[in-house]
Amino acid sequence: MKAVLVRKGTILLGMLALLIAACAPTEDAAREAGDEAEVPDEILVGATLPLTGEEADNGLRYQEGYELAFEVANEDGGLEIGGETVPVRLELLDDTTDQATAVNLAERLINRDQVHVMLGTYSTALVEAQSTVAEQNQIPYVNGGGAATAIYDRGYQWIFGALAPVELLATTQMEWIQKEQEAGNVPDPAEIALLWENTSHGEDYRKGVQDFAEQSGGSFEVVVDESFELDSKDFSAVLSKVKSSGADLFLADAHLPDYVTMQRQYVSSDLCHDVITYGARGSEADAAEALGQENVNYILSAVWWNAQLGEQGGQNEQFINAYKERYNTDPEWYQALGYETVRALFTAIEDAGSVEPEPLREALANLEMESILPGGQLSFPEETGYQADYPFVVQQNLPDGSSPIVYPEELATGKAIAPNPNCEG
Amino acid sequence: MEEVVRLGISAVLLAGLYSVMAYGLGLIYGVLRIVNLAHAGVIMAAAYVTWLLHSRLGIDPYLAIPVILVVFFIFGVLLYKGVVRFLPRGAAGGVQSLLLLFGIWLVMRNGAYLLFSGNDRAIRTEYSTHSISIFGTSVAQSRVVVFVIAVLTLAALHLFLTRTYTGKAIRAVAQNPDSGTIVGVNVERFYALTFGIGTSLGGLAGLLLATIFAFNPTSGAVELLKSFVVVVLGGLGSVVGIALGALVLAFAESYAILILPSYLTAAVSFVLLVVVLVLRPGGLFGQRVLA
Repeated sequence: MKAVLVRKGTILLGMLALLIAACAPTEDAAREAGDEAEVPDEILVGATLPLTGEEADNGLRYQEGYELAFEVANEDGGLEIGGETVPVRLELLDDTTDQATAVNLAERLINRDQVHVMLGTYSTALVEAQSTVAEQNQIPYVNGGGAATAIYDRGYQWIFGALAPVELLATTQMEWIQKEQEAGNVPDPAEIALLWENTSHGEDYRKGVQDFAEQSGGSFEVVVDESFELDSKDFSAVLSKVKSSGADLFLADAHLPDYVTMQRQYVSSDLCHDVITYGARGSEADAAEALGQENVNYILSAVWWNAQLGEQGGQNEQFINAYKERYNTDPEWYQALGYETVRALFTAIEDAGSVEPEPLREALANLEMESILPGGQLSFPEETGYQADYPFVVQQNLPDGSSPIVYPEELATGKAIAPNPNCEG
Repeated sequence: MEEVVRLGISAVLLAGLYSVMAYGLGLIYGVLRIVNLAHAGVIMAAAYVTWLLHSRLGIDPYLAIPVILVVFFIFGVLLYKGVVRFLPRGAAGGVQSLLLLFGIWLVMRNGAYLLFSGNDRAIRTEYSTHSISIFGTSVAQSRVVVFVIAVLTLAALHLFLTRTYTGKAIRAVAQNPDSGTIVGVNVERFYALTFGIGTSLGGLAGLLLATIFAFNPTSGAVELLKSFVVVVLGGLGSVVGIALGALVLAFAESYAILILPSYLTAAVSFVLLVVVLVLRPGGLFGQRVLA
């Protein structure tokens, strides 16, 4: 009996040892795997975007930018790594504008599909949640859809953002308003009604406006400071508060669906302000279609890119031509950011000469590339938590359907109109 | 003072919207004792049908009301005869009906994703952004129209339930289906009729919402929650109570902005719900049986 037990125990131990041996690669095997990983047959890039749900419109725009960048890269066979040209493939999934789904899909892409690197999703809330998965797995995560500083001040080392901070967006708009104030087109002092979505994005916008107002020496005063939930339906109460305040300027920060809903209620409440903005939103063709051109005229928006930058030629012109050829329409900033985010990643992969996480992370941290974005350069400075930092362009909707750049002056393609002519009479 | 008046007007108009959203839910619960979670799907589907009628056939949303009422009445009757009538009634059937109708809502939502994608849609008419002045306050014309339709619906529903034979029979069935059967009332027929009317009222709510807000396949969820709060506030099974419940909720939400940040006003409805359930479980206006 005892002998049987001993024999069974030995067999069990033997099987256990074999199992462990099978699971643990030998040094040689690990080295071989590493060598193979350095120059893979194909570079697999994982990404999710909100292709359905509240942010589907913008998710689809980013998808166009992503796919164009992959197409351009693969036209010449792919990316140069270690003297070889390796094709690059995008594994793109729909996160349905849902944080939990975005997180689950990132885990699936990294752990099951074994992608080499991740491209980020769109919107601050989704990027904020999803990027943690990449950080935990130490996979480089390059995104062009998360602008809030909250994403980058967490001390993460693997997250890189191509969108300049929202706070800077607010500051740039305020600079333009101040310029108009100095020209006598905006009251001095001017009272501000400030509405912001209750997200990190909105908080950054609020901080940008408030800091500027505080440092203006009394030229600006925030008289309404209210936040609202994402995807709100009824803004009548908060707009009533704005009306009662008698503010001169209406500065809101909203995503596209809320911009459309709020602007419709704004117009039908007979509100009018010398300056009206919804942050980065305002020039979208979908909004003009849903609201009517006459109801989006003179709205100011500050964006990360504008197709009119193509008039200066160079990379912008190339991008716009390639985009038009594929989609038969002009790109908006969403597509440009999607495209440029992928290009930044590809440049870093070629700089690193590898898709191994650590060298690629180093290459991204040290990236200095010519860019289609305003300022012409893209990098991910360590001091901003690897968030890109470049100037915004301020644009204004005009009755002819165009949205020329009105600020900064060196990039301007049109003349700003202030105060808002809609308020006359 | 000016702001208080403006908020008051805004609250009254909002109450109209809330009551239209809740009539169908309240009617079905009052008679069949079923919480119709598919109400959210009906609201969303009606918004899309309205959008299709407007964008493809050029039919004005308000002129499409009869079409929507008929289409969703038929849908409701078919839903009842095909699925709901097989459910156990009363407390014992609560879980089954919740699960089944939730499933139907999910099917409708995913069907909408398949047909229309997740993009936001909006109906834009010539008068979408028109406003009129009430006591010196500009209000959206479409909101006033919604309020007027809500009041007319309330009056029609009240008269139907109190003055017509069919309405009285529905109330009798709601009060005591067994006695109704004894005196010759075809209970199943009136259940199907009630489910059809309740669904068509949900369709009306979807149409009216589509004239004011953008919508997508996820629309209807918030409206369902608000409808539930309104029905509980007003007293389960009371149509007039539903209108009053809507008024209470709208006033609470609108005036909350005077003391709360606007993003917290959404929580007001749920605080009200908890308070009413604890202090007056029968609703603020008692538990009558319809009308």
